[in-house]
Amino acid sequence: MTRLAPDRWTAVALFAAAAATPLVTRDTFMLDSVILILLWGSLSAGWNVAGGYAGQVSLGHAAFFGIGAYAAALMSARHLNPWLGLAIGVGLSIGAGGLIGYLSNRLKGPYFALSTIAFAEVLKIVASRWRGFTAGSEGVPVPFRPGFATLGLGHVAWLYLILVLALVCYALQMYLERSRVGYQLAGVREDEDAAEALGIATRRRKVQAVVLSAALTSMGGSLWAQYVGFVDPSHVFSIDLSVRFALNSIIGGIGTALGPFLGSLLITSLETYLRATFSGIQAGFTGIYLIIYGVVLILIVRFAPEGVTGIAARWRTRRDRAHA
Amino acid sequence: MDPARRLGPAQIDVVAQLAVSTVLLGGIYALIAVGLTLIFGIMRVVNFAHGEFLMLGMYLAFFAFTLEGLDPYVVLLISIPIFYGVGWLVYVLIMRGVIHASHNVQIFTTVGLSTALQNVALVLWTGDFRVIRPWHSSVVLRVAGTAFNLSQVVAWAVAVALTIALFAFMKWTHTGRVMRATAQDRDAATLMGIDTDRVYRLTFAIGIACVGAAGVLVSPLYAVYPQAGLQFVTLAYVVVVLGGLGDMAGAMAGSLIVAAVEVAGSYVFGAAWKEVFYFLLFIGVLVFRPAGLFGQRGAETLGA
Repeated sequence: MTRLAPDRWTAVALFAAAAATPLVTRDTFMLDSVILILLWGSLSAGWNVAGGYAGQVSLGHAAFFGIGAYAAALMSARHLNPWLGLAIGVGLSIGAGGLIGYLSNRLKGPYFALSTIAFAEVLKIVASRWRGFTAGSEGVPVPFRPGFATLGLGHVAWLYLILVLALVCYALQMYLERSRVGYQLAGVREDEDAAEALGIATRRRKVQAVVLSAALTSMGGSLWAQYVGFVDPSHVFSIDLSVRFALNSIIGGIGTALGPFLGSLLITSLETYLRATFSGIQAGFTGIYLIIYGVVLILIVRFAPEGVTGIAARWRTRRDRAHA
Repeated sequence: MDPARRLGPAQIDVVAQLAVSTVLLGGIYALIAVGLTLIFGIMRVVNFAHGEFLMLGMYLAFFAFTLEGLDPYVVLLISIPIFYGVGWLVYVLIMRGVIHASHNVQIFTTVGLSTALQNVALVLWTGDFRVIRPWHSSVVLRVAGTAFNLSQVVAWAVAVALTIALFAFMKWTHTGRVMRATAQDRDAATLMGIDTDRVYRLTFAIGIACVGAAGVLVSPLYAVYPQAGLQFVTLAYVVVVLGGLGDMAGAMAGSLIVAAVEVAGSYVFGAAWKEVFYFLLFIGVLVFRPAGLFGQRGAETLGA
């Protein structure tokens, strides 16, 4: 437990700082940055539930994100309630997550990752070609209708709404760290045969983890669509997006509650900074920060696969030992 | 609309045309997939950056043609040593360090490489679609009620020749036997005095050389842009899983099946939906026969 406490304090500080931001500044750029850090953190936390805690590494989580985004955007575009869209998205993602989770019982390692990619690609093709329903590759603009019921909010309201999502994701991860179910999932991740031998319903646990993960990711997708105001298939179903969810968790610390948010803080800040610096050259900018993504990913998994929280923990142990 | 349908049955024998298109596409897919399956079979690594080397091969052909006026078939000769060197370098710099690491580490290493390479191409050469039209891409051959262009035929012939050469190399040379031995049992191979590090280096270099050459071969047929590799590599995953990951003969059969699905799907439902069919096929195979259509012994546990 000595390892956990500092992580907990960091999380409290991080969320408190986010909550306090509107009290200090009303600068749209600052508020937008905090909202995006929390949102990408929550989405990565959603990925982390399957990829980190249950060890079901997916490269197709954009599928659930896209389902959520499209569900909300299509409802809004038809002047219906986007919250209903969010709920429909979660329902569909639970179904899809169940299907993918079932696949994960048969497929391991790279096979599972490949099948999740294929799933996201199928949805991308359907969303870009089913023009009558989704408006095809042009995408769906989300009309801005002021009000909480229609999710047309100002920056401050968005910040607190996304903060609630982040706290829910964090709390769920905490639950997975401390509960019986969480220990069972860790068992499944570390040694499935041993877990099975101990009487853990490994198959059911894996499916449950993927379903929960899919539902959280879909929720984040719906809110993202309403916040950003535009959904297009080549972005919301892209592998880049799936990699981003994984990347935040890996950089921060895979399979830890704080990891995804810490990773998001680093990566999203980097992106925002580069966007502000290179805003003149559009194509050039996109490329540069994605090159950094790729290189950072290679270096992290090679030299620090346990991420920032892991490095911090190792450093603390060494310090404590030196003192003792 | 499908060109075969536009020309009508008077000039084109539909079934023959579909069959010929299948074989032509299948040969090219085989060359892309064979490198992927070789790397997986021997190194147990799924190279998620495989498509990016195809993209680089296409750019090499594009720039050689537009800047130097070199025909892609001339470029092919220099591309093989170039990509062999690239593969060798990538292995030494990146892959060697993760060869004994967990699957997740390997997956994210090659995913990171893929993201980085795609965006290096985007920064250097922008996102524009670029096309080359050497003389042979506008020569139409008509044989027994079928029509196809010369570039397609040459690409197919070269792809098949290279694939067969690789096959023969694996089967009959000493180095090939050493590579297969390493694939069968890494530890036993080490005990027999095989330098596995050298085998992996060679494997990765050969796999990348194959896909780089494939990129040059397809350059007269498809536009190149930074994400061009993605469409081919997703297809190569399908091929490789169909044939059984690591099974080279299976990959060739898989290429033909995927090409047939694509050709028939485009003909019946239109080209817009063709990818859906092979992805559905892919998911179906993963669910029902994860070891591949030909049931390679315990192949899915190799992924464990």
